[in-house]
Amino acid sequence: MKIAVVGKGGSGKTSVSGVLARSFARSGHNVVGLDCDTNPNLGLSLGVGDLETERLLSLRDQIDEDEQKHAHTWDDILDAYGTDAPDGVRLTVVNRIDNPEPD
Amino acid sequence: MLSSVPESDTVIVADLEAGIGTLTRLPEGSVDTTLVIVEPTPRSIDVGQRAVLVASERQQGRITVVANKVADGDDEARVRAAFNDHDVVIVPVDPVVTAADRKGASPMDVDPEAPAVNAIAGLASLLAETTGT
Repeated sequence: MKIAVVGKGGSGKTSVSGVLARSFARSGHNVVGLDCDTNPNLGLSLGVGDLETERLLSLRDQIDEDEQKHAHTWDDILDAYGTDAPDGVRLTVVNRIDNPEPD
Repeated sequence: MLSSVPESDTVIVADLEAGIGTLTRLPEGSVDTTLVIVEPTPRSIDVGQRAVLVASERQQGRITVVANKVADGDDEARVRAAFNDHDVVIVPVDPVVTAADRKGASPMDVDPEAPAVNAIAGLASLLAETTGT
């Protein structure tokens, strides 16, 4: 199941996303949290902490640079650019590749 | 990328950028469910209504509105009235969420039994039931 979470800034969408992801995981689902926000804080709401959230941000910049050379598969991104969050949620942060400029 | 993720049993929760920018650029039919998070304020409801419109036009799956930070019956009524054609799930205003924000922590780790956490867990169960996941 793919779920998009949208809303105005400040609506609490990231807090809802984090708790929702962990709730699914606690009920036995494999869960991926995908942070597509230009102000990425899903890591904090999932409980991975400041340092790991910052590390993922630097990895995201690396994805953007590497993407110029070769395309990544979904599994590549989860393996290389993700981190394990509590309750078994896999978190990754994406930017340009998921937010392309309009044609 | 969301549209190219292989179908599987995995639940993907994609926290899109604030506003509706990403939603307008997401290829049609990329997701099974769109959650529109709104506070019971006019501006938040306005953005939410535009998000519902875009998600609906672009066939982004089942649309559920989450009325977040609801303090009382008036808040709930305001959101329900604005989205009377859609499912609305209520998440109460909760000091645990504010405390978690300040700590840079997950509300689940601050208090797993907090009212807002329980409401969102209920939303997860609802989505799992309605999609057969």
